[in-house]
Amino acid sequence: MPTGIVHIEDRPVVRVDAVNHYYGEGQARNQVLYKNSIEIGAGQLVIMTGPSGSGKTTLLSLIGALRSVQEGTIQILDRDLTGLATHDLVTVRRNLGFIFQAHNLFDSLSAYENVRMAMQVGGFAPDEMRERGMRMLERLGIEHRADYKPRLLSGGQRQRVAVARALVNRPRLVLADEPTASLDKESSNKVVNLLKELTTDEGCTVIMVTHDNRILDLADRIVNMVDGNIVSDVVLRDALIICEFLKGIELFKQLTPSELANVAERMKKRRYRGGDIVIHQGDAGEDFFLIAGGTAAVTGEQPGEPTRQIATLGAGQVFGEMALLSDEPRVATVRAIEDLETYSLGKKDFREAVALSVGFKDQIRQTYFDRYSALRSR
Amino acid sequence: MPRILAPVPLARRNLLADRRRLLRALAGIAFAVLLMMVELGFRTAFIGSMLLPIQQLDGDLMLLSSTKYEFDRKAPFPRRLFYEARAVPGIASVRPLYLERKTAVWKNPQTLELFGIQVFGFDPDQPVFLLPEVAANLEALRQPDTVMIDRRARSNMGYASAGLRTELSRRNIQVVGTFRLGPNFFSDGTVIMSDRNFFKFFGNYSASPSDLSDITDLPDVEVGVIKVSPGRRIPDVQRALRAALPASVTVLTKAQLIDQERRFHLQVSPVGPIFDVGTLVGFAVGMLICYQILFSELSDQLSQYATLKAMGYYNSYLVKVVLEQAVLYALLAYLVAWAACYVIFRVVGELALIPLRMSIGLTVTSVVLALTMCIVAALIAVRRVLATDPAELF
Repeated sequence: MPTGIVHIEDRPVVRVDAVNHYYGEGQARNQVLYKNSIEIGAGQLVIMTGPSGSGKTTLLSLIGALRSVQEGTIQILDRDLTGLATHDLVTVRRNLGFIFQAHNLFDSLSAYENVRMAMQVGGFAPDEMRERGMRMLERLGIEHRADYKPRLLSGGQRQRVAVARALVNRPRLVLADEPTASLDKESSNKVVNLLKELTTDEGCTVIMVTHDNRILDLADRIVNMVDGNIVSDVVLRDALIICEFLKGIELFKQLTPSELANVAERMKKRRYRGGDIVIHQGDAGEDFFLIAGGTAAVTGEQPGEPTRQIATLGAGQVFGEMALLSDEPRVATVRAIEDLETYSLGKKDFREAVALSVGFKDQIRQTYFDRYSALRSR
Repeated sequence: MPRILAPVPLARRNLLADRRRLLRALAGIAFAVLLMMVELGFRTAFIGSMLLPIQQLDGDLMLLSSTKYEFDRKAPFPRRLFYEARAVPGIASVRPLYLERKTAVWKNPQTLELFGIQVFGFDPDQPVFLLPEVAANLEALRQPDTVMIDRRARSNMGYASAGLRTELSRRNIQVVGTFRLGPNFFSDGTVIMSDRNFFKFFGNYSASPSDLSDITDLPDVEVGVIKVSPGRRIPDVQRALRAALPASVTVLTKAQLIDQERRFHLQVSPVGPIFDVGTLVGFAVGMLICYQILFSELSDQLSQYATLKAMGYYNSYLVKVVLEQAVLYALLAYLVAWAACYVIFRVVGELALIPLRMSIGLTVTSVVLALTMCIVAALIAVRRVLATDPAELF
């Protein structure tokens, strides 16, 4: 019976798989992205960080269908961008919202008309456009400037018009490049709060390149890129949950917050339905598990004896660590009793985490010893 | 705020966004359009002035020497053929017309200065002109040393009216009347006289012959103006004439002669192509001006157009916007140029006495050229927008 049946939480809005990208041709060809993979679900506010030239804007432009995918695959909104012709890429972009660092408003058009330009490709009826456009300007606090030309608006107001233009079609995916760079604190708050509302209320996904620390508090996920590679991808909500759980467990109490965050950062969320086998006795151990929600039954089999339930595990408890430390097969089977949500840590990452603290390693061994003893005594 | 239900008129908004820039652009494009219109107007006037005498000939068919490729150029054919033509069935009349230009000199009666002039001679008993003033003065023209002069001749010919005496080719003449024709680009005016006087002045006869039958060596005929008998089809008679006469003469309908004359001046004579070159220069200048204006505007708005591409606008929309703007430039500039050209034509036409008119043909041709000029410029300039990469906005 197969083990480790993985259920990713939702159909991702963005799925990037093994994407390489190059600039230039011939001898001048220069690789800027290296086998990057990432999945981003609905309703996430993702911040991409990294030094200049790290490839984050290239990756953003690829996700935004602004460039053609060269190697690897990118799916956004259930549409595979690989191999799409320029015309089709344009069609895909109609479902996205773009916020650029510069407002790029037409000086010849009023604020409302600039917003309306976006609605014209959104397929709305003219009457609906007016109401929708004005409502969006109102949400950004500039409805009273709807008839003003950009030259008569302040820098912050112009950027808010550009944000209104990007969001007025209620896109399911918004890509933003330093959207608050030219905004004062008040304008910045309005824009960021609106973006956050879109993610929480409407399930919109926002991917943003920013260095604005004020936004970090609202981010669901931080993706860090260096030299064309995604070097970390932290789901902050999950990381906080994981850290909360880990620090409540005796084994992890010695880890510093930074070490806990490093462990949390490497853990991946997995979901199982009731009855699914998470690990199977006798299989090689590949992952360490932390239960975030639901319950699981631990059962053991001895030759000539019926299967026995050894323990029932719930939220905050861990399993699967012994096989990773000893390189021995799993000594028990863990099955989801009901829908089970776990965070798993791969063998390599687990061992690195163990190496962080001798105390940690010893305690794991102690725990493992205790469990073995319990198993034998039954 | 007024309700705006139509799509955002981006091209119009871009056009009107900067009034000063718009005025500069319109001035530049209008100048080029004006240049083209003036060239086209002069070209039309040139051709029109050269056709004026032909249009005033009262004939269905014209008998001419085959070597006469230009009406203004003297190329007579043998009088024998003129008589032979009369014998062809279906001919009501064949009337002679004589022409002199090279040796005809008119003395301005006021300043006594001498100027070249175009002279036509005809038989008053067989009138060939449609000009009503000439028809009314046939008896006066029969008198020795009498002429009628074009009252639309250029002012350097002097003011001439009935009763005035002056000299034509150094012989005294009396003006017995005027007619309204107009000069052309080669001749300042036209004189019409009887064939008898014509022979005396330009045929080396000592006096006006009183009876042409007395003359045994009548000069050759420049044009035989033919009337077809009532009920006979002109093409049939034309074919019969061609069959009866040698190839040294040609028989053309009046429309064919006009067309031949027009084609000669447009394609063969050096004057027509000069106007074509002028028009072409105007077109090229206008296209450059329009391109420069559009290129500059588009360059200022590249990031805006790139944003439109990122938002999901196809290239076809961007091309449409730029073309629409170019067409608006062309039409607005055309209105300015038309008004300026109208004034120029009125002033120059009156001063130079040439038929400069804002005809429908000229209006249509110049508006088509103005539109083409701006559209071509826009199609070249829009490449800059099409080349923008929205990915560069990040």
